[in-house]
Amino acid sequence: MGLGPRTLEKLRRAVGRDHVVWDAYDLVIFERDASITGALPDAIVYPANAEEVAAVLEIAAEQQLPVVPRGAGTGLSGGAVTLHGGLALSLARFRRIIEIDPKGRTALVEPGVVNYDLGLEAARHGLFYAPDPSSQKACTIGGNAAENSGGPHCLYYGVTTNHILGMEVVLSDGSVHWVGGEDPDQPGLDLLGVLVGSEGTLAVITKLRVKLLPTPEAVSTLMAAFPSIESASKAVSDVIGHGIVPAALEMMDKVTIGAVEAHYKAGYPTSAGAVLLVEVDGLTESARELTAAIEQILEMDEAFEIRVAEDPAERELLWAGRKGAIGALGHIKPNYYLHDGVVPRTRLPEVLREVGRIGEHYRLPVANVFHAGDGNLHPNILFDLREKGIMKKVEKAGEEMLRACIDAGGTLSGEHGIGLEKNAFMPWIFGPDDLAAMQAVKDVLDPSGRLNPGKIFPPAGQIEPKLIARSGVASEARWW
Amino acid sequence: MVTVDGLKPKAVEKPKTAEALAARLSQATRAGEAVIPVGGGRALGMGDPPARFDLALVTTALDRIVDVSPADLTATVQAGVTLEALQAELGKARQFLPLDPFGSPGHTIGGLLATAWSGPLRQRYGTPREFLVGLQVALPDGRLARSGGRVVKNVSGYDLNKLHFGALGSLGVITEASFKVFPRPLFEETVEASEAQFADAWREARRALELKMPPVALELLREPDRHRLVARFAGSEDGVRRMVRELVWAPVAEADFWQDHSRRRADRWVRVAVPPEALRDVLHSLPEAARWWAHPGVGVAYWVDFEAGQVAAVRAAAEAAGGSAVLVAAPPAMKRELGAWGRQPATIELMRRVKKAFDPAGTLSPGRYVV
Repeated sequence: MGLGPRTLEKLRRAVGRDHVVWDAYDLVIFERDASITGALPDAIVYPANAEEVAAVLEIAAEQQLPVVPRGAGTGLSGGAVTLHGGLALSLARFRRIIEIDPKGRTALVEPGVVNYDLGLEAARHGLFYAPDPSSQKACTIGGNAAENSGGPHCLYYGVTTNHILGMEVVLSDGSVHWVGGEDPDQPGLDLLGVLVGSEGTLAVITKLRVKLLPTPEAVSTLMAAFPSIESASKAVSDVIGHGIVPAALEMMDKVTIGAVEAHYKAGYPTSAGAVLLVEVDGLTESARELTAAIEQILEMDEAFEIRVAEDPAERELLWAGRKGAIGALGHIKPNYYLHDGVVPRTRLPEVLREVGRIGEHYRLPVANVFHAGDGNLHPNILFDLREKGIMKKVEKAGEEMLRACIDAGGTLSGEHGIGLEKNAFMPWIFGPDDLAAMQAVKDVLDPSGRLNPGKIFPPAGQIEPKLIARSGVASEARWW
Repeated sequence: MVTVDGLKPKAVEKPKTAEALAARLSQATRAGEAVIPVGGGRALGMGDPPARFDLALVTTALDRIVDVSPADLTATVQAGVTLEALQAELGKARQFLPLDPFGSPGHTIGGLLATAWSGPLRQRYGTPREFLVGLQVALPDGRLARSGGRVVKNVSGYDLNKLHFGALGSLGVITEASFKVFPRPLFEETVEASEAQFADAWREARRALELKMPPVALELLREPDRHRLVARFAGSEDGVRRMVRELVWAPVAEADFWQDHSRRRADRWVRVAVPPEALRDVLHSLPEAARWWAHPGVGVAYWVDFEAGQVAAVRAAAEAAGGSAVLVAAPPAMKRELGAWGRQPATIELMRRVKKAFDPAGTLSPGRYVV
C-alpha cells in the first residue's frame, strides 16, 4: 500500500530526513526477524530518543498505522515482524550505555545496546549482566526485555525480568512514563513486571535500569558424556535432587554432538548419546566442593567420560561447542526451525522420546540442544528449504512437539516468546477467561491495538498460524 | 470476628473451593457490596481504612497443597495454605520457599502475595515476585483467571502474576499459586557484631555485603544501647567458613535468631523502602530514640512504635530519596491523618485504568489500596 507523501514528510520531520526509509530494497531487510515468518513494513523509522518515539507514535495514531518496535531482529517467534505492515520502529540509534553505577551495581542503558557489549562494559567494574541469550553478541537489551529472554545461566540467575529494575516507556498514545525504579516495595501496581515480556504489544521501551552482579571468584565447567538422553536426563534430575542448582546445566544430543565436533572440536565424545555441560560458580572453595559432588552424582548415573575444564581456554572451548551448536547444524541441513517449550524436568526423557518419534515420523532430523536444568527444550528440526513443500511438514512436526510439551504439563515458550509463531496455540494453555484478563491489560495500555498487532493473542477465526509473506518477496527460495 | 481498621463486615464467608469463592465474589459485585479478601489476618493493618466493608471473603478453607514436585523444584498450593504448612511439606525433600516474613507465624500464601510482605532472606532470593511462577485469581465478575503456569521458566502471555503481587487484593482474590522452590542450603552459619555508633555499624554492613559471597540475609537492628548486625551465610561448608573467617564477627547469641526475628510485629509499623544506597541517610533521619531494624543490602527498614507527628519528616526524607514510607500498621485515625501509602506514584493514572478494567464496580477493598 505504501505511505502517502504527506505522512512520510511528517515522519521525516519527527525523526530527521535521513531516519525514515521506505525504499523497496531497504524494506526487504526489515521483512524478517530470525523466525520463519515475514511481512514488509511500509516504512522504517529510526527515532533517537523518547520524544521522537512519542512523535512517531502520534503520527501513527493519526494515520492509523501499526507500529512494531524492533531491536536487532534476532527474535525467534516473529515479535519484530510487521505482520500488518505499518511502521517498523527501529531502536538502532538508542545505543548508549548511559551510566554504570558500580556502587549500586546497576546500569542505565538505551534499548539498542547489545547484550554482550553491556557485559564487556560491566566487566571493567568487576560486574556482569546475568541474562545471556545465545544470540547475545547481536541481540539488544531492549529486545531482551520485550521478550523476557533467557539463556544458559538463567537456571541459577533467573531470566531478564529478574534483572530489570525500571524502564522508560512510550505508550501508543505518545505518553512517556517511567515504570519501576531502584527503590524496592514501590506502592502501586507493578506495571514494570507486566511490560517486561509483553513483546512490544504494550509499549516501546526507550531506557532501562538493569541490575549488575559481581563477577564470581571462581567458575568451574565440566562436560559429561552419557550413553543416552535418558541417562543424561536422570543425571540432571539427580543433581538438582541433591540440592545443587548449578549456574548452567545444558544438554546436547547425538546429532548435535556430531555436528559440533565436526566444526569446533570441543572434545565431546562422538560415541555419546548425550552430553551435559555443567557450570558452577562462586567462591573457589564452593566451586571445588560442588564440582566434586556433581562429578560423583554423574558417575553414579552412567556418565562414561567426565572432563573438568582445567583453564579458561578449555572452558571457552567447551562452551564454544554449545553456543555455536546451532550454526554447526548447518553441516547437516541448511535450515533449522525450533520451538522452546518447557516441561517439568522430570518429564524430559519421555518428552524427548516423543520429539524423536515425531522427527522420525516426518523423516526430519532433529537436533536437541537445550537448557536441561530448566526443562526448556530446543528441538532443532533440520531441513533444506529447497525441498518442495517441506515447510508444511516442518511446521506440523514443530506443532506436535509443542503439543507433547503441553501434554506433559509444560508451556509453550520458556524464553523465545509467543509472537505470531505460537499465538494460535495459546488456547492450549489458557482458557478464554485467562486470555480475557490479558486482553484487559492490552486494552488499557494500547486501546487502539496499534502496537505490534497480531502477536501473542490467538487470531480470531484462524486455527493454525499461517506463514504470511505479505509482499511475496519473502518467498521460500530467498531464505537466509 | 474479622475487623479491618475497626470496621466489621456484615458477613464473613469462608468458601471451600475457588469456584465457590469466585461465585460469591461475583454475587457481591452485582449487589454492589464491598469485599475484603482475608487470609491469615496477619497483615490486615496494611492500607488506608476501607471506605466500605460488607463481606469478608476468608481464604483459609482453600487449604490444599495441590502439588509438590521436589525433582522439578516446584510447588502449587491453594491461597489459604499457611507458609508454615508449605515449608513443612517442602522440608521433607530438604527444600524450602525462601520467604521469612515478619509477623510470622500464620501468614497464608495468598495473604503474603497480596501484601508482598517479606523478610531478611530477600537479600539473596528477592521477594516472591522473583519466584512466583503461576497464579489463579478470582476476578470481581466471577471469572477465575490463570496466569503463568507450573514450570520454572515461562514467557507465554503477559506476566499477570506480577500485577497481582502486592496489589492488596485490589484486582482480584488470589486462590492458588505456583512457585519455583529452592533446595535448602548445604550449610549455614549466623554471626553477629555490635557497634555503638551508627556510622561504624553501617561500615561493617557494607563490608559484609562486599564479601565475595555476601550473606543471604543481613540485618541491622537498632537496640537501646547498640547497633546490632546479624549476618546469615549459606552455601558450601568450606565457603561459608571462609566468609565467616573473613568477616570476624561472633557466633550469634540466640539459639534461633531468625525464627525469633520473623515474629516481630507492631501496632505502629512503618516500612521505609529506598534505593539501597540511600538507606543510610534515611535511617539517619529517624528520631534518636527510634526503634527500627533494616536490610541494608536491600534498602528496606522497619520502624515501630513511633508517634504520628514523627512520620511526616521521615516520609519526606524517604520520598526525596526516590522511595517510600508506608504504614504497615497504625491506628485508623493515624492512617486517616497521614495516609497509609504516601506520595502517589507518577503512573497513578495508568494504575487507575488497570484497576477500573479489572474491578469496574469497585468491589474489592474500596479505599484501601493505592488505586
